Amino acid sequence: MIQFFGVTKRFPTGQSALDGISLEIARGEFCFITGASGAGKTTLLKLIFREDVPSSGQILVNGRNVSLIPRGKIPFLRRTIGVVFQDFRLIERKTIFENVAFLPRILGLDHGRQKRVAFEALRRVGLSHRMASFPSQLSGGEKQRVAIARALINEPEILIADEPTGNLDHDLSQEIVRLFLDIHLRGTTVLFATHDRVLIESVGHRVLTLAHGRLVEDRPSRRGPSPALNTSEAGSGTAESPLSEDLA
Amino acid sequence: MNFLQAASYFLREAVVGLARSLRVSLLAILTIAVSLFLSGMVLLVSKNLSRTVHEWRAEARFVVYLAPELDAAGRAALRAEIERGRWTEGLEEITPEVARVRFERAFPSLAELVAERGSGALPSSFEAVLKPVPPADVSGFEAWVEDLRGRPGVAMVDADQDWISQVETLLALIRGLGLALATILLGASVFTIASVVRLTSFLYREEIGVMRLVGATEFYIRGPFYFEGILQGLLGGLIAAGALGASHFVLAPRVASSLVAGSLAATFLSPAELVALVLFGGIAGWTGAIVSLSRESLEAPGG
Repeated sequence: MIQFFGVTKRFPTGQSALDGISLEIARGEFCFITGASGAGKTTLLKLIFREDVPSSGQILVNGRNVSLIPRGKIPFLRRTIGVVFQDFRLIERKTIFENVAFLPRILGLDHGRQKRVAFEALRRVGLSHRMASFPSQLSGGEKQRVAIARALINEPEILIADEPTGNLDHDLSQEIVRLFLDIHLRGTTVLFATHDRVLIESVGHRVLTLAHGRLVEDRPSRRGPSPALNTSEAGSGTAESPLSEDLA
Repeated sequence: MNFLQAASYFLREAVVGLARSLRVSLLAILTIAVSLFLSGMVLLVSKNLSRTVHEWRAEARFVVYLAPELDAAGRAALRAEIERGRWTEGLEEITPEVARVRFERAFPSLAELVAERGSGALPSSFEAVLKPVPPADVSGFEAWVEDLRGRPGVAMVDADQDWISQVETLLALIRGLGLALATILLGASVFTIASVVRLTSFLYREEIGVMRLVGATEFYIRGPFYFEGILQGLLGGLIAAGALGASHFVLAPRVASSLVAGSLAATFLSPAELVALVLFGGIAGWTGAIVSLSRESLEAPGG
């Protein structure tokens, strides 16, 4: 599903963020990306959803070279990839509903359907009762769950999380990770960047370790093949798809 | 998202954007209002001046004064020549006696002066009523007048069209200066609106990042900013149109008795011209937004 072939990313200063990375992540896989600060985790993730382009090498997502996607088509790539950040990136002046329903609105769903799909996405993260609240009225854990709901609303094939637990305490981090595992069980490919080794060990999925822009370790999952690869849900992610009816 | 949905969303976001940076937005609106007000004034003055000149031209006199030695045959030939002119609508011969009566009526205090000089004090003349000379015909008309001036037996040709042409040249100069002034002011307005839109886009930079993240297209991201520029321009245009109307309403009756000021304020802009002024504000605002958003900061990264 995601393939890197000798990917290097150099900044204009000449410093390398990634250096000759080659890897493959299968559909429905849960994969941690870890490493110290500055190891290249964020850069690697940004390349997948075309927030950045590699200096050399190729990145294929669903067999498509993302570097060659025309600028005008990038939004359509991003609609298939959910992204969650450490700092939540919610729009403070908009309600939780408006934050989550942003994409359905862009896609032209009427208000009633926007509400329905936003409710469903928020229900999956346990926040359907906070639709009318503003981000400032939520705790850190709740904000992150809203960000996850927003990322899930279009039933993305890939969910990317860049240090999603970085601002949360241990209990909330566990809660968020459980949420990601639940999403993964529905067939979504999850890339979860974190430097929290305890968290990684507690889950036991595949771990890619970066250091100074190089892939220094690729440890397979201790849990066996990803459930999604062996179940009828594999790759579909439609068991409780909030947008599946409306955006099919 | 269909066009109406998008327009509704853009408009709502544009209003929020205006409110969010209210002071600078007001500055931009006032700048464009002042620019359009002055442009409207230039248009109004130019329009009234054109109308006045047109009226003058319609009433313009064309008099050919005859030399005393011109005999009857020469007079008849000259009369026929003037009547043949394609601008001539009517012709009247003014004898020295008629001219004297007119002079005494117009200048009673100078009547004795004319009387002392006898019946030949004032020359005979032909007074012609001319059709309005279309701008394309002006050079032909001037050549015709020069030809008449050079004919034997013609003492002088007094054509009001000569000074009306000079007034028209002055009018063209005023129009040119007004256009230049309006262009400079509108340029300043576009720059101000561009700065305000840029400031707003800076305030929204995080939101723009989120919009890109979830897959919003550039159309969807930029739409509210374009609408904000258009809204500022339209509001500026409305204020300018209102101020022009109010100024005319207040000033026109007060200067009606003045020959110059009265003629410059005699008529107001037509509804179509007012609408055009407001729309022009909208276009200027849109241009400002386009200029502002064409810079790199709003471009998609990595593209």
